[in-house]
Amino acid sequence: MLRRTALATSALLIGALLLTSCTGGNTASAPTGAVDPDATLTVGLSLEPSNLDIRHTSGAALEQALVDNVYQGLVTRNGDDDNAIVPALATEWTISPDGLTYTFTLREGVTFHDGTAMTADDVVTSLQTAKDDATIQNSADLANVASIASPDASTVVLTLAQPNIDFLFTLTGRAGLVFKNADTTNFQTAANGTGPFTVASRNTGQSLTLARYDGYWGDKAGVAEVVLDYIPDRSAAVNAAVSGDLDVALEVDPELQSQVEGTGNFTIDTGLTTDKATLAFNNQRAPLTDQRVREALRLAIDHDALVETVIAAQTLNGPIPPLDPGYEDLTGSVSYNPDRARDLLAQAGAENLELTLTIPNVYPTSIPTFLVSSFADVGVTLKVESVDFSTWLQDVYTNHDYDLSFVRHVEARDFGNWANPTYYFGYDNATVQSLYAQAQATTDEQQSSDLLAEAARIVDDEDAADWLLLATPRTAVGTNVANFPKNSLNVRLPLAGVTVSSE
Amino acid sequence: MIRYALTRLGLLLLGLAVASALIFLSLRVLPGDVAQLIAGTQSTPEQVAALRESLGLDVPLWTQYFDWIGGLLRGDLGTSLVTGESVAAELLDKARVTVPLAVMSLTVALLIGIPLGVLSALGRRTAGGTALSVASQALAAVPVVWAGMLLVVVFAVWLGWLPPQGFPRAGWNDPGAAFRALVLPALTIGVVEGAMLLRFVRSATLQALGQDYVRTAAAKGLTRTRALVRHGLPNVGLSVITVLGLQIAGIIVGAVVIEQLFTLPGVGRMLVADVAARDLPKVQGELLALTGFVLLVGFVVDLVHRLIDPRQREAS
Repeated sequence: MLRRTALATSALLIGALLLTSCTGGNTASAPTGAVDPDATLTVGLSLEPSNLDIRHTSGAALEQALVDNVYQGLVTRNGDDDNAIVPALATEWTISPDGLTYTFTLREGVTFHDGTAMTADDVVTSLQTAKDDATIQNSADLANVASIASPDASTVVLTLAQPNIDFLFTLTGRAGLVFKNADTTNFQTAANGTGPFTVASRNTGQSLTLARYDGYWGDKAGVAEVVLDYIPDRSAAVNAAVSGDLDVALEVDPELQSQVEGTGNFTIDTGLTTDKATLAFNNQRAPLTDQRVREALRLAIDHDALVETVIAAQTLNGPIPPLDPGYEDLTGSVSYNPDRARDLLAQAGAENLELTLTIPNVYPTSIPTFLVSSFADVGVTLKVESVDFSTWLQDVYTNHDYDLSFVRHVEARDFGNWANPTYYFGYDNATVQSLYAQAQATTDEQQSSDLLAEAARIVDDEDAADWLLLATPRTAVGTNVANFPKNSLNVRLPLAGVTVSSE
Repeated sequence: MIRYALTRLGLLLLGLAVASALIFLSLRVLPGDVAQLIAGTQSTPEQVAALRESLGLDVPLWTQYFDWIGGLLRGDLGTSLVTGESVAAELLDKARVTVPLAVMSLTVALLIGIPLGVLSALGRRTAGGTALSVASQALAAVPVVWAGMLLVVVFAVWLGWLPPQGFPRAGWNDPGAAFRALVLPALTIGVVEGAMLLRFVRSATLQALGQDYVRTAAAKGLTRTRALVRHGLPNVGLSVITVLGLQIAGIIVGAVVIEQLFTLPGVGRMLVADVAARDLPKVQGELLALTGFVLLVGFVVDLVHRLIDPRQREAS
């Protein structure tokens, strides 16, 4: 039953993919001139990867630049289609009814950028290495894999120790990427993948240039070259777009949006992400161990007003964002009510409370400022401690030494953090843990989703944290650009289908 | 002279040795570590430990220190833990922005400081001279960042003559654009440093004007100005050389700040990013190279001073 569903979905998706790649109709305005296959596409983004070693280095910037463009796995996800899982280096797959055996049929004619053909052995070795080497990013995703084998040259079979409904999804992540066996490339400074683009050059502190790979197995990339131009300052990015240096600008500051639109050369797209701005409460530290205090803090925040302040965002009530399974609109579970917040704090004997918010200094000050005044209104003094990210990792993430913390959790399907009492949230609820384990172990997608939703409701009811907002960044896409992707661009930026027209 | 140079060189090397130890130890006080940063927020403590081991961060501090010094003695500044590139190569690459910026800043400072300093001294009783003196005092007290923002508002935002920030993607392959990108940052540093230099040149000139040999020359029929130019300024020049040594250090510090403000891909911005990334071996190399450069400038200034000032040569 499940196998049929999986096959049916994948067939549908291939169709959808073909459609979008051929007709190119997903941007609002159709470009006027003829498509220029020799064009260079220049994309302005904010966060630069520190090196190119996607296997060992964390950070969304690396995935954004390299996954789907330079490196590929057996499967990938389509952000513009609810993060659906779609074929990449595997043309199709079957899942055994017990959810334990995944059989992938490998695509033919795949070559690495150095010209060598991809073999089943490359796939097996890549996955085995990712499982065995703890220093590889997301290695833990493969811990549940019992065996990786290749019965013939075009098949790879993965066997799990226990069913895991998210397994296919984790293969779309870093642990599932396929590398050449015994590759001698220095992956920190160079790349050798199977994707539609090669890494042409890198200018640290400035830009990363990708070039079309002519030996690509699929439809060749629509542009000859892509320049990812890293501009940390938002207004500088807008200036660059206005002056014509960029074809596309990601994460346009809403306050500067009118400047970009004013040129008449751009349309603004808004996309969904799984980028959750989480106000974490240290559930293990008094007085935040008292649910009344946590609820009071949530009641003190006017989320609609916050969204108006931040603009490029929408409210998110609950730990699961709309692109992930188990999402439920929990609007109204906590509505702005400072009077009730003051009552609850009084009941908890927590008047004149002083709390510290530890926040990495990469984020703008608008959110902490908003929180300081919201909390002051209910009698809570909030001290903001702005630290660099490394210090945040040590104090908050590793040592759990904090009251409140703010970071953006960009990862998709990361609800498991609420089922892990050793995570920095310090949230420990046996029911949630059990529901999450069941949701992972079932082979029925609907059932899994329902279980996750139930667990998420408990996390929300217990006020384990506050989900301040969901980032919905705006992309300024040049009117000469077609097929630019929309969703989850902060973690995936598939550019193969994008085309640029001459004026 | 040779003995003096050798002694001075010995001092330079001693300074470097002390600096290396200070740099190494002071960086170890920073919280956070590169392994945790590389591993990220979905990592387990075991993964971080494995990464620390593979990066060679689990060996004792003194071993790390002597490994570093050993590498330095072989002329190897080490490899970045984050980018995997050679520290020396990255320094050279970023120096292509920082060195021209420093040279342009110094030029601006000299063009402002020396002529205006002399003029301000000569006309100290006139309204113009007083105005110059007051203005320089105010300018010298201006924080570089503030001066930079002001210049951006005027020349980039209002007048639109120069880019507000950034460096062309093509770098020096597009020399015009690269030069234009450095004008505002160089002006920012140059004006502030130039104001300080102006004050120094002014007081040195005033001092020279009061010297007996200038008065004697004036008594023999030269005008005050000609006496100053012929006999006074060479002495002023000598002391300016010393101050210039300090100013070059000031310009380097200014560049670290200004590159951040103007998002210029230079040594300063790289240093700030590397500290944030806790890429300590790389930060060590960068700081030592900068310290070495400043010490070297001091060394050269001292030697030049001695070479051109006969009084000092006789004194030894």
